[in-house]
Amino acid sequence: MHWFNAGCWIFLFLTGLGLIQNDDLQPFTSWPTILRIVFGGGANLLLAHEIVGITWAGGFLLYGIIRLKSDVIPFFREIFNVDIHRDFLWLITKGIQMTLGYRALGIIAEKFGFSPIIPDQGFYNIGQKIFAIPAVFGGIVIVVSGVTMILSQVGMASTELVQWAILIHFITVGLVFAGLLIHVFMASIAAGEQPAFISMFTGSVPEDYARHHHKLWLDEVKKS
Amino acid sequence: MNKQLAMVIDSSVCIDCKACTLACKVENNVPEGKWRNWVKRSEPDFNKPDWMVHSTSFHFQPGGCMHCEVPTCVQACPTGATYKDEKDGAVKVDPKLCIGCGSCIPACPYGARYRHPTRNIVDKCDYCEKRRARGELPACVVTCPTKARVFGDINDPKSDAALLLKKNQSVRVINKESDTKPNMYYLSATAPLNWPVKAKMPDPIQLWKMAGPLIWGIVGLNAIGVLIMLGKQILMNDKAPETDESHEETRQS
Amino acid sequence: MTSPIETPLSRRSFLKWSGAATAAAAVGGKAPVLYALTPDETKKSFAKPDSRYSVCGMCLNACGLVARVENGVITKLDPNQKFLKSRGMLCARGNAGIQQLYDPDRLKYPLLRKGERGEGKWERISWDQALDLAAAKMTEIAEKYTRCGVMFTPGSDSQSLFVHWFAEVFGSYNVSTHESSCLLSRNRAYLDTFGEVPFADILHTKYIIVAGANPFEALITPDSIDLMTAKKNGCKIVVLDPRFTKTAGLAHEWHPIRPGTDMAFFLALSHVITSEKLYNETYAQEKLSGIEQLTEHVCQYSPEWAEKECEIPAADIRRIARELAAAAPTAIVYPGRRTSDYVNSTQIRRSMAIVNALLGNWDSPGGLLAARQVGLSGPELPEAPFYDDNPEHRLDKGMAHMMFEEEGAFKHMRDAIISQKPYPVKGWFIYRYNPLQSAANRQKTIEMMKQLDFVVTVDIAMSDTAWMSDLVLPAPSVLERQDPASGLQGSAACACVVARDPVVPALFESRPVFEILKGLAGRMKLTEYFDFTMEEYRKQQFKLLPDADRAIREDGVYYNPSKLYGIYEGKIYKTLSKKIELYNERYAQMGVDPIPVYQSPKTNPVNQFRLVVGRNAYFTHCTTQNNALLNELMPDNSLWIHPVAAKKLDIKDGERVEVTSNAGKGELSVSLNNGIREDTVYMASGFGVLSKGLTRVYGKGACIAELIEDYADDISGNMAMHETFIRVAKKGAL
Repeated sequence: MHWFNAGCWIFLFLTGLGLIQNDDLQPFTSWPTILRIVFGGGANLLLAHEIVGITWAGGFLLYGIIRLKSDVIPFFREIFNVDIHRDFLWLITKGIQMTLGYRALGIIAEKFGFSPIIPDQGFYNIGQKIFAIPAVFGGIVIVVSGVTMILSQVGMASTELVQWAILIHFITVGLVFAGLLIHVFMASIAAGEQPAFISMFTGSVPEDYARHHHKLWLDEVKKS
Repeated sequence: MNKQLAMVIDSSVCIDCKACTLACKVENNVPEGKWRNWVKRSEPDFNKPDWMVHSTSFHFQPGGCMHCEVPTCVQACPTGATYKDEKDGAVKVDPKLCIGCGSCIPACPYGARYRHPTRNIVDKCDYCEKRRARGELPACVVTCPTKARVFGDINDPKSDAALLLKKNQSVRVINKESDTKPNMYYLSATAPLNWPVKAKMPDPIQLWKMAGPLIWGIVGLNAIGVLIMLGKQILMNDKAPETDESHEETRQS
Repeated sequence: MTSPIETPLSRRSFLKWSGAATAAAAVGGKAPVLYALTPDETKKSFAKPDSRYSVCGMCLNACGLVARVENGVITKLDPNQKFLKSRGMLCARGNAGIQQLYDPDRLKYPLLRKGERGEGKWERISWDQALDLAAAKMTEIAEKYTRCGVMFTPGSDSQSLFVHWFAEVFGSYNVSTHESSCLLSRNRAYLDTFGEVPFADILHTKYIIVAGANPFEALITPDSIDLMTAKKNGCKIVVLDPRFTKTAGLAHEWHPIRPGTDMAFFLALSHVITSEKLYNETYAQEKLSGIEQLTEHVCQYSPEWAEKECEIPAADIRRIARELAAAAPTAIVYPGRRTSDYVNSTQIRRSMAIVNALLGNWDSPGGLLAARQVGLSGPELPEAPFYDDNPEHRLDKGMAHMMFEEEGAFKHMRDAIISQKPYPVKGWFIYRYNPLQSAANRQKTIEMMKQLDFVVTVDIAMSDTAWMSDLVLPAPSVLERQDPASGLQGSAACACVVARDPVVPALFESRPVFEILKGLAGRMKLTEYFDFTMEEYRKQQFKLLPDADRAIREDGVYYNPSKLYGIYEGKIYKTLSKKIELYNERYAQMGVDPIPVYQSPKTNPVNQFRLVVGRNAYFTHCTTQNNALLNELMPDNSLWIHPVAAKKLDIKDGERVEVTSNAGKGELSVSLNNGIREDTVYMASGFGVLSKGLTRVYGKGACIAELIEDYADDISGNMAMHETFIRVAKKGAL
């Protein structure tokens, strides 16, 4: 499902970016031109974007219905399972560690009077949880605004509605993409993430990894 | 040399019979309530006590999409669905790419565009493309009783339109704040002159133009953050202080 | 206000309903899916579609056209560039001809009235039933009263000649046409001056006075177009009109003449031209009869005198006279067309014709041209039967000094029918004519109809006249018909011959009037008089024109080029004196003023306005207001009134007002207009309809025919429609 999501998202992002052919709005002016050549015209590009978009949305809708009890609800439970104090500290400490290193973390922690020990996290760490919210709800907004634009083509949306839809679509995609950059880095390129990355295909992680990154979850699993 | 299709109009012979607007409407299935072309009317200033004394005090001005050199409508379109065709100079709408957002509509100082109620895309004069493909002139040109409209390639010095421009003074009707350099020329003089409005962008699109850099900025910041983390990862040998050795082992192996 | 019917959809749904399924597919079904997935319609239309010649039928100008037919549907009407009379144009009405064909409101089947006249309850019947009924009724009237007991009124249409023929073989002389609400007084005046009705060579003229005419709006080909060309070539245009029409606004001079005083102006012109000897004396001796009488007669009509009558400054009158004479003979007083205005309309046009005569412009460039023979032969028809028991004369005989025998006068006939004197008329056959909107005093027409036993209307739309009839028969548009050849006069554009062949088959159960009359004839023992096909008829017409048939097929028009000027070289004029008559002998003998004697028009009663009639380029009289395309140009009519006059009545722009005259009343909105005299008001014709079968225009505006009182020109019997004064008041104030 994740790869379905990722694959569609990337395709949609690239084609969507290519649909913006306007000097004021497009920083990468050759990208739309390239894509139009590849797809044989702007109309085909739009069609491809719309088809994949509908497929993506449809896929998630089905998934959401079929796997509501088994996947969706637990997912949301986990996402909103937040310990403010602990998780905020994780954000600070992990953030500093990722950018400046453990030594710097130690120094800064001492200076500002907080523990340099990175707190434990559950199935998802708070960073993942924070990303999950815009990813999911942003995704919904993107779908709704996108569908509005499609509806316009069959006369079910006014120009004003479409104009707002375009704006919202663009902003939401942009923000989620910004978060996506971190997500991709964290999930694949960051040091020690290999097991996690591999787990997206296999479905499981080594215990060591789990202890280090998601101890709270490991404890829970061990309990049951 | 590339063509520039244009209209050269002698508005002084226009009698406001509206034949051109009806011919266009029939030819192009223009829906009720919408028009691809028009005849503007200039009346004498009735407040002047001697308004009757001046001769020829009505003036009628046939018009339509002016297929401008600097089309603000094209500037407003997010997807490039409307564009100026380099080959013939006409401003066109790709009906399959247009999503009907209508940003181009207020962006035209002449109000030449409208959203088609059933096709749901933006529609406007296309110089009767289908007629031209059959070797015919646009419907409005052919039907006019006084032949006020002359159509042709003004880049071809032998065309009727180009010759008229060469031999006569001509004016264009523009809005001073949005001079789109229209390709519709009126011979000698014409009235009314001050009717085109400033090209306007709809509010959401204006917000988009402002939000764009902001969003790219945020993306950029995130990208920078990622690059810092990547850089740190590559360049720094970062060891966690006194953690369980198994973790170190994992990382090392 | 937006009509619920959107043109492309209505045409499509209309066709589906009519059973032309392939046609519906051709117009393009847009299924509600992503637009990119529907077939590319542009590719389809790039192929060269079928083109067929025809001739427009939206008005009498009959402009040649080329109809584009795609999959059995007419998709566009374009001008026939070879048609000189129209200068290769097709006006708004012409383009809207498609809509007339595909109008959902169009009459489709024979309809028999069920409830009261005007109730709008109809029963659809078969053609056999309809023709049986009509034949029976007409025969019944003929037997109970006389053959003249059925009146026939054919309108301006190429097939109207068959209605005339039917009336003749049926035995009725009570035939009247649209002409007696239009140009009979003009024709009378010019016939009685020059011996024939001329056509103005506007294209080559250098000075033209347009009085009581509006060529830039009331389109006449080639006049309206040539007027602009002439202007570009330096012709000076002077307009006299109580309204600032588009013609006035595009002219060099406009004078808001006091309505009905045109004769004063033109008598004054004659005064200046004769007293200052601004005419060609040799020409006068050779060609004009009565120059001495005229000179003496107009002595009293000085510009100073005229100024008091027509409210145009004397200096201007004098100057115009001199300018006009200086430009002679390439100078014209435009004869105009619709002259159904005042009770002395013929004499007014006589005064204008006299000025033309003084200019010496007859039969020469930039002047008045004689009709050209176009070469059509009369058909070989059997002699019409004679009915012993028929009255001696037509109904309105003697009700005007010099009525046109074959035209009569509708107003007089109507009066006679109501009074049932000299004899009763109880039946009425109407073809493409709508007097309930075009004739003065609508209520009187309705009163007349109450006297009638049987009224049948043949039309394409449910006009007010059809609405009030007993039997309504659906006719096709001209694009669906095969017609006899017609000759058209084109002044400088030469005379030509046109003949129509169907562009598409007749829709629904519509039948051309020719077929209807054949059907009636067959049921009334008159078969032998209609025993021919349209092709046979046309063949006879083309007897002397071997090239005509091919020309019409290949070019859409046949030209028989002949001399433009000098037709009268060495010929006499068809008048008593054999010259151009400034002084009309026959009038003198009949006790009518041989040279026009000025009569001042009635002055406005206090707080009342003179109502004038006029046309515009969007509609044809009162019959196309319901056409969806044309209706969009002008969905409603309004009362033109000067702001100063309106202020006195406390009326603001756009407000609803009640208008009343001695004939009737109405309600409509007001349009404040500086371009009209303060003592005059105007509204467009064709609105305030009774017929609910005209769905777009029903409920809109007021009907001018309801307000106009019925007067007639003394001499020709032409309706006089500018003699009415009306009261205007805010809604609720009267």
